[in-house]
Amino acid sequence: MVAIKDHETVQHKAQKTLLESIELKEIPVHFHCREGYCGACRTKLIKGEVEYLTFPLAYIDDDEILPCCCYPTSDIEIELA
Amino acid sequence: MKYTTFNQKNNNPLTEPMFFGNPVNVARYDQQKHQIFEKLIEKQISFFWRPEEVDVSKDRVDFQKLSDSEKHIFISNLKYQTLLDSIQGRSPNIAFLPILSLPELETWVETWSFFETIHSRSYTHILRNLFGDPSSIFNDIVENEEIKKRAADISKYYDDLIFATQLWQTLGEGVHTISGCSYNITMRELKKKLYLCMNSVNALEAIRFYVSFACTFAFAERELMEGNSKIIRLIARDENLHLTSTQHILNLWAKGKDDPEMVEIAEECKEEATEIFLNAVRQEKEWAAYLFKQGSMIGLNKEILCQYVEFIANHRMSAIGLGQPFAIKSNPLPWMNNYLNSDNVQVAPQESEISSYLVGQIDSEVNAEDFGDFDL
Repeated sequence: MVAIKDHETVQHKAQKTLLESIELKEIPVHFHCREGYCGACRTKLIKGEVEYLTFPLAYIDDDEILPCCCYPTSDIEIELA
Repeated sequence: MKYTTFNQKNNNPLTEPMFFGNPVNVARYDQQKHQIFEKLIEKQISFFWRPEEVDVSKDRVDFQKLSDSEKHIFISNLKYQTLLDSIQGRSPNIAFLPILSLPELETWVETWSFFETIHSRSYTHILRNLFGDPSSIFNDIVENEEIKKRAADISKYYDDLIFATQLWQTLGEGVHTISGCSYNITMRELKKKLYLCMNSVNALEAIRFYVSFACTFAFAERELMEGNSKIIRLIARDENLHLTSTQHILNLWAKGKDDPEMVEIAEECKEEATEIFLNAVRQEKEWAAYLFKQGSMIGLNKEILCQYVEFIANHRMSAIGLGQPFAIKSNPLPWMNNYLNSDNVQVAPQESEISSYLVGQIDSEVNAEDFGDFDL
């Protein structure tokens, strides 16, 4: 499960990136490249773990993730920018 | 310190700072102090493209159909893009290469600049198609007051750093009098100039380019000048990567992951860095007023473009720890995302990494079960 601050909780869909799962619920997330190099979707990870299948090139802080190219590996809690 | 093209000192590049350490000697990439620059080089090279691959011939017909105010918007925008890439095609090389200390960062800067030259070549490709002789367009870039104002502000920080570096490399630290002007050259001052210059480059890649992209894609939204838009889409993809690199450099400094002195400088110059950004925002709004002075176009006008500048500035400034100074929260130009999404950038199959297209490949992975039905 993906808990999003100030939004409803989203069920993460297998094979989908976190961004795609959130978009299925029509929650607006800022994005550009969808490939991890622009950083437009930078999001705060409050709780939980995610993994990347491609190296996230964009700059992110230690407590931030790139939903466009990450996959949750546990229940997570995030705060959209 | 005098620059040397091959530093004979056997230094360890893994302990050098990004800038103002020993000059780079061996160009080796098997190890990196900051792995990110090696990754950026790989990504950037995988993006390689040539302007001639994009057919812009239909744009010529479209251009004749544009109203005078739209022609003004289109051409002014293209002039501005030409100016930005003229500066970016040389300046990172001239300003940063002489003071760099890491091989991976050196090659990143060269790769980055090289791609800006591809962008410059594509503006000639676009303009040559629209006009038999594009000279008057190019000449106006150095005569047009609106463009010159911007050029002066962008090149100022580069020029300042380059001149101070030249003095330092020939005369060393100290107070030097050149043609009656006195210059105080210290390592601290050089690093400050470098910090401000990097912020100015960051603002250029983060805001200035995006204003011009919005104008280009506004035409494409109306199915006009689509060849041009295809080229600008490829340019936007590259610029995104360049922006990422300057954000990384600024954050590596600010978070104390590189040169400890740069942490202090980042703190000390925070206000000036913010001012560089806000000044770019102001100038881009003035530019929007100039673009639309003869009238707006369907889908884009001065107000929306100004809102977009603020929206994008919020995002870019927060990425480097400068907060979100503007009230705007939602994207006033949501269709921009379609053009900046890398999935929508077309590439030829043989040039992308689509595995099904690769031929003559050998699967070199051999497992014990592969020999299962093998009898001797």
